[in-house]
Amino acid sequence: MSAPILWILVPFATGVLILLFLREERAPVTGGVVAAILSLTALIIPIDIAQLLGPVSFKISSTIQFFGRSFALHTADGPLLAIIYGLAALWFFGTQASGTKNRFVSIGLMIVALLTASIAVEPFLFAALLLEMAAMLVIPLLVLPYQKPGRGVVRFLIYQTLAMPFILFSGWMLAGVEASPGDLGTTTQAGTMLGLGFAFLLGVFPLYNWIPMLMEEASPYVTGFLLWALPTFTVIFALGFLDRYTWLRTSPQLSNAIIFAGVFMVASGGIFASLQRHLGRIMGYAAIAETGLLILAMSLKSTEVVNVTFLLLVPRGLELAVWALALSIIKRKAYSLRFSEVQGLARSYPIAVAALIFAHLSVAGFPLLAGFPARIALWQELAGQSLTISFWAFAGLFGLLIAAIRTLAVFVMAEENKPWELNESWVQGVMLGLGVIGLFILGTFPQILQLFIANLPTLFDHLGQ
Amino acid sequence: MLIIVSCLLFFVTALALMVLLITQPNARYAWLVAVGGGTLALVSVFIWLAQMPFDLALPAWKPLTLFLNPISFRADGLSWPFAVSISALTLTILLTVVSQPAFTNSYTWAGTLALGGLGILAVTANNPLTLLLIWSALDITELITQLRSVNGAANNEKVVTSFSTRAFGSFLLLWANIVSIAAGSTFNFQSIASGSGLYLVIAAGLRLGVLPLHLPYSSESTVRRGFGTALRLISAASSLVLLSHVPAGSLSSALTPFLTSLGIIAAIYGGWMWLRAPDELTGRPYWIISLAALSIISALSGNPLGVVAWGCALVLVGGALFLSSVQNIWLNRALLVGVWSLSSLPFSLTASAWLGNLGFFIPFVIVAQALLIAGFVRHALRPGGRDSLDTQESWTRSVYPAGIILLVALQLVLGWIGWDGALQVGAWLQAIIASLLTFGLVWATPRFRILNPIRAHWVSSTISRMDNAYQGLWAIYRLLARISTAIITTLEGESGIMWTLLFIILFVSLITQGVR
Repeated sequence: MSAPILWILVPFATGVLILLFLREERAPVTGGVVAAILSLTALIIPIDIAQLLGPVSFKISSTIQFFGRSFALHTADGPLLAIIYGLAALWFFGTQASGTKNRFVSIGLMIVALLTASIAVEPFLFAALLLEMAAMLVIPLLVLPYQKPGRGVVRFLIYQTLAMPFILFSGWMLAGVEASPGDLGTTTQAGTMLGLGFAFLLGVFPLYNWIPMLMEEASPYVTGFLLWALPTFTVIFALGFLDRYTWLRTSPQLSNAIIFAGVFMVASGGIFASLQRHLGRIMGYAAIAETGLLILAMSLKSTEVVNVTFLLLVPRGLELAVWALALSIIKRKAYSLRFSEVQGLARSYPIAVAALIFAHLSVAGFPLLAGFPARIALWQELAGQSLTISFWAFAGLFGLLIAAIRTLAVFVMAEENKPWELNESWVQGVMLGLGVIGLFILGTFPQILQLFIANLPTLFDHLGQ
Repeated sequence: MLIIVSCLLFFVTALALMVLLITQPNARYAWLVAVGGGTLALVSVFIWLAQMPFDLALPAWKPLTLFLNPISFRADGLSWPFAVSISALTLTILLTVVSQPAFTNSYTWAGTLALGGLGILAVTANNPLTLLLIWSALDITELITQLRSVNGAANNEKVVTSFSTRAFGSFLLLWANIVSIAAGSTFNFQSIASGSGLYLVIAAGLRLGVLPLHLPYSSESTVRRGFGTALRLISAASSLVLLSHVPAGSLSSALTPFLTSLGIIAAIYGGWMWLRAPDELTGRPYWIISLAALSIISALSGNPLGVVAWGCALVLVGGALFLSSVQNIWLNRALLVGVWSLSSLPFSLTASAWLGNLGFFIPFVIVAQALLIAGFVRHALRPGGRDSLDTQESWTRSVYPAGIILLVALQLVLGWIGWDGALQVGAWLQAIIASLLTFGLVWATPRFRILNPIRAHWVSSTISRMDNAYQGLWAIYRLLARISTAIITTLEGESGIMWTLLFIILFVSLITQGVR
């Protein structure tokens, strides 16, 4: 058994099998269990190290060849795979509670497998192709059969597709840069191409306008999954670039571009979120601000780049999952998700509303919640670099806090003498309750994340060493 | 270790009450469990005196390179008076519930004990990170409790507004952290950067409703006297403790006189409204604003001891008054010990209140203090017409006054022992002038109509007028919303992609303009 087969082929094949043979109702549990087993396996069994199980000795080899390309997952990838499949399991288990259908689990498993392949493939530039394939697989989830795709979906596809040629083209140019590093013209062109590619992939300002549009027109749960999965793997892909090319890390222009892109996303995402009157769009802008924080973390001139980035990435998965699930439950009651339609809903759906608010506050960096320790770590590094950048990033998070408070105010403004009642099913209550408890645990004891992220800096030879 | 013992006594007792509530809802010994836990916790806080100062650090967050300050607590001459005040308040609340017609175990008892534990954690917090976490726990507790107890859209909105101002205060503390790190300091109370001091004062002022002046608490809650008192006073004390950690050196800014002026306005306004409030519970928000403003003025004058003195007065003097729900002439007279405690006369609880440099502001501070004390006298000597203890069982007639007397006695004790502000002579001349002015106000109150209590509905109209002043902020907000809508509509419209590409080209041009 090799690691790429176990963590790429098996989930992809499981996804196909679920799609073809399993009934929609059984898919969440099956997909969730498979993802959870893959996560536990990655956590317990080290890759490429012989293990003794009684009299039997076995080893999960790290590499396979496929059409002349190699896929390699090394020992250091274990915790990363555990995080990815652990969070994926969370999304799949929540599918039933969210009421999402349309083959979410099967296609979701395939997407995660393709995205895992993107971090394993060598030459690593082929990751762009795999990311594009994953983006295309999302389309059937976003657009129901026989339905005309909305403008957000079309724009999402355009931007993700435009990213691929830019990254592939920059890869071709990077070979020239490595051959003659003193050629500033080629370096600038390659850097610009690469920057544009990632700008499209990550949805850097102003290329993120598909996100709020999508949150308005598609299922919040599916879009939330998309907003978790794609940026997570794109960030890991980008860290790989930064690690591999010294000139990328040392180029002042590129460094400035990354910082400005990040701070623009955080500030604009937060400020726009505070001015919205649609719950879905608010979540979209919050996700944009979070991606901005990830970009800011990548821009740090510090050995803590990897630590801070992964401290941000793990809670992000939980926050978006809880938020998207709560939003899906609320959407079944108030379809448009506009403020005017959800007013006073806290008394009818108290668990969903509380979960939504806590997830939102966590993204804003409210103390005690999962997002807070990561933001403290980011400020620790960022404030030493620039107080101005820190101010604008802080302003973005403050905007998110205002959005959370506005949302809360709308939810609780119920008419006189409206009684409290529980309209969530027990599955929904349990899923949301566990999610909220997770938010508090990660916010109070972030050291438990060390189990997963302590060895992640070894994934990168130069970053964080 | 002693800190954790005291807090655990509160939390474990709260947990035991919850278990009893579920398993034996009618258990008559539940009250004994609650009072027993509260008493042990209070005794344990007194035991701190044998070991002070001492620290308690929880396991550090990791990686250690990113989280430089662990969650830690410290018992010392500044935090102990707050801790003992909060413990005594919690016990008094449990002792005074016996005056209620039917007192059975309820979630509010457990909630009061849990709040006491959280309050002790807040006042002993040894760095801003710890304080932020405890503040948030208190804020979330208060938010949930209030939302469960109020009714109607407007009241619910007030609760959220109150939560939002405290959350903004927490974020301001976070910003002070960032400024401190940018200045090269680690952010703990021992090494606060000079640029952060004012942010700390504003953060505390925002949470307390003083800077800018606003009423952070909704008064329409149904949990007014017992749990409501704990919620208000412990929350206020937990915010005030931040001010006691602001070093005088970090307040030398051009903004300091401006903030002091705002503090004086809040103190006088709060004192005036407190004096004229129809009853003590309606006036409670003004009591908190007025005392919090006096604390802020003390902090801005470079006197952390004054902050602690006013904070303890807020909890002990206010607690005794707000928890006195029955008519008893001897108890009403005992409450007047609070006048001594608020007077800042030598060896009183607030003797150290005005050790800082107030300069030009001294007369205004005296006026604010006199208004506050005069209001207290009026509310303590309230007219009859309330329930009395005469019809209750004999043990109730002993337990209830014991609760009130506990707070009164502690006011006297703290003037003499246990902390850095005890046994102080203080600014005695200023105290005498304030006392004389107080006598004048007490004499004048029944004689001049302007000093008479205002009717309850006038209070709300005053608040409305104050709210109108903040409508300007909403106008700016609406303007920003219109601008953002225009930008978003452009970028998401048919021509959005072209606009986006244009932005990208401009962005790339700007970034690469330095390269030749």
